[in-house]
Amino acid sequence: MKLFSKVLISCALLGSLAPVALAADNRNAGKDIGHVFLASAEPAAKPVEVLKAAAKDIVLKGDAKCTVCHDESDSPKVLSISQTRHGVTADGRTPTCTSCHGESIAHLGHKGSSKPPKPDHVFGKNSGTSAAERNGACLSCHKGDKRTHWEGSQHQRNDVSCTSCHTIHSAHDKVRERATQDEVCFTCHKEQRAETHKISTHPVNADKLACSGCHNLHGSAGPKLLKKNTVNETCWTCHADKRGPFLFEHQPATEDCTICHAQHGSNIRPMLRTRPPFMCQECHDGSHASGTPVGLNAAGRQGGMTVAPSRNNVGGSCLNCHNMVHGSNSPAGGFLQR
Amino acid sequence: MKTNNENMNVSLLAVAVQGALLAMFAMPVYAADAADDEVAALKRPVNSIEVGVSNVSQSSAKFGEYNGLNKAAANVIGNFSVKGGDAYNPFGESGTLRWGMYGSDLGTTSRALGGSVGSQGKWDLSIGYDELQHNIADTYQTPYVGAMGGNTFLLPVGLPRLNNTNLITPAQLQTVAISSTRKNTNVGAGIILNDAWSVKFDYNQLVQSGAKLMSFGSMKVAGGSAGEYVSILANPTNYKTDSINLALNWLGDNAYATGSYYGSFFRDANTGVKFQTFDAIANGIQTQSTMPSNDFHQLNLSGGYTLTPTTKLTGGLSYAKNTQNSAYAYDVYSMVNPVAPFTNGVSPQASLNGDVRTTHADVKLVDQTTKALTLSASVKFDERNNKTASNFYYMNALDGATNHQGNFANAPVSNSKTQFELAGDYRIDKDQLLNLTYNREDVKRWCNQYAIGGLGVVAGGAPGSNLYPAGANCVVAVASKDDKLSTAYKLKLSDAVKLNVGYAYSQRSTTSDANAITPRLSLNGNLTGAVPLIQGVNAGDFRGFYPFFNASRKQQMLKGGVNWQANEKFSLGMGAKFTDDKYDSLYGVKAGNSWSVNLDADYNYSENGSFSAYLTQEHKQRDMTDLQTVAAITANATRLPVPANGTWSDRQKDDDTTIGLALKQNGLMDSKLDLTGDLSYSMGRTGYTTVLNYVGTTATPNFWTCNSPTLASCGSLPTIKNDVIQLKLTGKYKVSKSAEVTVGYLFQQMRSTDYYYNGLQSTFTPNQVMPTNQQSPNYTINVVTASYSYLF
Repeated sequence: MKLFSKVLISCALLGSLAPVALAADNRNAGKDIGHVFLASAEPAAKPVEVLKAAAKDIVLKGDAKCTVCHDESDSPKVLSISQTRHGVTADGRTPTCTSCHGESIAHLGHKGSSKPPKPDHVFGKNSGTSAAERNGACLSCHKGDKRTHWEGSQHQRNDVSCTSCHTIHSAHDKVRERATQDEVCFTCHKEQRAETHKISTHPVNADKLACSGCHNLHGSAGPKLLKKNTVNETCWTCHADKRGPFLFEHQPATEDCTICHAQHGSNIRPMLRTRPPFMCQECHDGSHASGTPVGLNAAGRQGGMTVAPSRNNVGGSCLNCHNMVHGSNSPAGGFLQR
Repeated sequence: MKTNNENMNVSLLAVAVQGALLAMFAMPVYAADAADDEVAALKRPVNSIEVGVSNVSQSSAKFGEYNGLNKAAANVIGNFSVKGGDAYNPFGESGTLRWGMYGSDLGTTSRALGGSVGSQGKWDLSIGYDELQHNIADTYQTPYVGAMGGNTFLLPVGLPRLNNTNLITPAQLQTVAISSTRKNTNVGAGIILNDAWSVKFDYNQLVQSGAKLMSFGSMKVAGGSAGEYVSILANPTNYKTDSINLALNWLGDNAYATGSYYGSFFRDANTGVKFQTFDAIANGIQTQSTMPSNDFHQLNLSGGYTLTPTTKLTGGLSYAKNTQNSAYAYDVYSMVNPVAPFTNGVSPQASLNGDVRTTHADVKLVDQTTKALTLSASVKFDERNNKTASNFYYMNALDGATNHQGNFANAPVSNSKTQFELAGDYRIDKDQLLNLTYNREDVKRWCNQYAIGGLGVVAGGAPGSNLYPAGANCVVAVASKDDKLSTAYKLKLSDAVKLNVGYAYSQRSTTSDANAITPRLSLNGNLTGAVPLIQGVNAGDFRGFYPFFNASRKQQMLKGGVNWQANEKFSLGMGAKFTDDKYDSLYGVKAGNSWSVNLDADYNYSENGSFSAYLTQEHKQRDMTDLQTVAAITANATRLPVPANGTWSDRQKDDDTTIGLALKQNGLMDSKLDLTGDLSYSMGRTGYTTVLNYVGTTATPNFWTCNSPTLASCGSLPTIKNDVIQLKLTGKYKVSKSAEVTVGYLFQQMRSTDYYYNGLQSTFTPNQVMPTNQQSPNYTINVVTASYSYLF
């Protein structure tokens, strides 16, 4: 009976592993040898060999020891790394699993039914690996260029890791795609998320501008992680018409666009922090009508008017005449009216 | 993840045997192929071509501001993404070549198209095109004749002179849709020369067309009653900007560096816009200048060096030259002496020959002294050095009044900012982090050259009074120092709960020169050209008044947050921030504060389903006090009787609420149907309240009360209200491995009330503003989409 059982078991295991062997060989050689294997009905010693054969690399060089468990059924789909730049094995710089996750001896050597110990470096949300260690794995290759100012940057100092934003194994890394990047940034930057819903915004919600259009999230020499050295240099990348230099300049416009503009969104068009004439009166007191309280007159009320309100107050208010607030290149533009 | 259990008992073996036998004899041979397919699917990119149609129920420039759906019409949906190359070979020998092409929103004016090819580790090449039509207004009306995007706007023959009693009629107005379109074309290339060196090149051409609305104030002309007649016209945006970036990267074992050139060249097809005033129809055409063409060249060098395994040094240098020499756009009505030499004896250039040099330098040292302590020190320097010449220009104000004529010098202001930062991050233990930062910011402002002399008194002539003595400052706030101390503490209370709190205090002290002479001086108390200058003013402003952005100020910030990961499925987060600003100015902005609260919840109720919700509440407030310009004891139709030193205050309040709900359910109907739903609501409120801080006589009550129907110079303005609600539902059904059908529904409603538009209505016209009948955006729009995707 025992002998019968052993024979039966051997046959059954052999049979059950046949599809595995077929799959493994197909993956690694791209050849269909399944029929030969099945037809030949080779010795019963095959299972061990088959297991070894199955433990061949699937995506990365040397990944066999990992993919024998972390295969296509894994979630998240680790094999998708093949579609990323990290999956181009013919590029000599391409890492393998242990390049990032460490040699993970304990994890690999685990036997038994218990939960295996974690790899040396784990990058998940609740990873026990410190942000510095996680980032070290990435920065060992990705240094310089746009990451020159990573050390000491706001994100680095706040324990943001590369994988806080990037999904390394995914074919679609949300933070690298313009349409979805803001979702990643808004995970932490809640006020900016709210501001993009205001009536006057950049086209962020229309997926035409990503946060990285203005910011270098990996650190920068500019303020607020801006891509350029100053606020204005960054704005003038797209709004070069405001760059001048103008014959008659407007001091705040040359210093910092955000003195007047709320760059993430505003209730006052066009992305203004406040509405003229109040905006002008925050800086101008002595001249002309800017020292005059306008109150309800700025509303240009339609009923009961016996005297038409001043053009100084309605609509664009001061900007009705002083329209060249970014600077004027007219020799008659001293009042920023031409 | 698979797990191997090597301790199976006999009964398990029996089960395994039965299962294995079943597998041996019953499982199709092609079962393994299924596994291969699954692996291949993960390794190969999924290419897609999506075609479909969307229907928009209502035209709205605001709804379609950036998405190209501004018209009530059917639009073609066209998206594709195709990738290939031997680097994607899933099982065979793979190479390094990858290529890809993409297109999105091809049926709208927000389309994008591009492609890339590259051999990873060797070279890459990309090209892209991106279009964006910014729809600005669809309710704008004008009697002017002139195409949007053009630069000449004339009034129709026979249009009567308009005033408060002779209003324009609807028949005299035509509706013009206003938009400005940006078309970006970019080319990029990169070559990796070897392990150490690589080169990158990017070129971008931005071509902008169309127009944006802008007010044009007219000069007083013969036959007209006065100047300052305001026409809101389509100011053309016929721009082209070419940008180039060429970078050389070097990477060593312990160091790296990048040297680059960045060039940006802006060209405006127009030097001016011609327009006709409606004050005096028969009279001449006036000229408004446009944005001048300009060039920007910048050299950059940045890099880093690992001094020791725990000490890193990074730094950068930039130097740029920004020039502008476009010919001036003369307006013969605006120049006092318009014929050359047009400044009554002084002959400035016929063009600016503007020259600004910008310099940037930064260096940062980061040292992880111990595993627990990281220290950093950094210095940054930015300078805008304006080397443009300063000259006197003799011009009229729009009202044409001789006592408002200006004869003053352009002020090519330079500024520099030096920032010094010391920071320390101390990890108290594995669950606690404390950081402390000190920041010092020094700002300086000056003019390299500032014209001296000038014509002096301009009301009626008498050149020669020395309004601009040698050594005069061109800017009031010549320097400021800002010291800031901030600290933050993070605590991981447990695996489930994380806390953070932060506080910052900064103090800015500004040095001002009350005798500085800024441009536009002639409209304040120094109009008469007294020598020395009249004391009691900060150039253009009363002494004690300072622009808020450079005034002395104390600022505090407090923030905190907590995150609770209740279990693997549910998490909750809350954050709050408070700021308080106090300005030392007697007049101007006196104080400001803000607070915000965020609540976020995520519930991943299954592997395929999740629900999230958030709420953000924001409040901002600004208080300012201004001195009434001129004490007016006798009231008239445009002025309140203001006592000497009378002041008024204004408070701005912003309150915004944003709510979002999102639901995602994948894997329905045998894993064929994915559903997503997003609901968002935002409510914005902005209000202004003005209070007069003085009491006058009751002799002229109409001029005194905040409820005065005529002048109404105090009180609360109607609150600006913007409410937007949006519901977006998407269903994606997998018909087969190679086909998907997507059906979507979008509902968006905007309710907006903004007093800005009141004064622009033809039924009520300030007698010097041409009505445009623009309306606050209000719409209710339904968009239905259906598309078919072919996947391969």
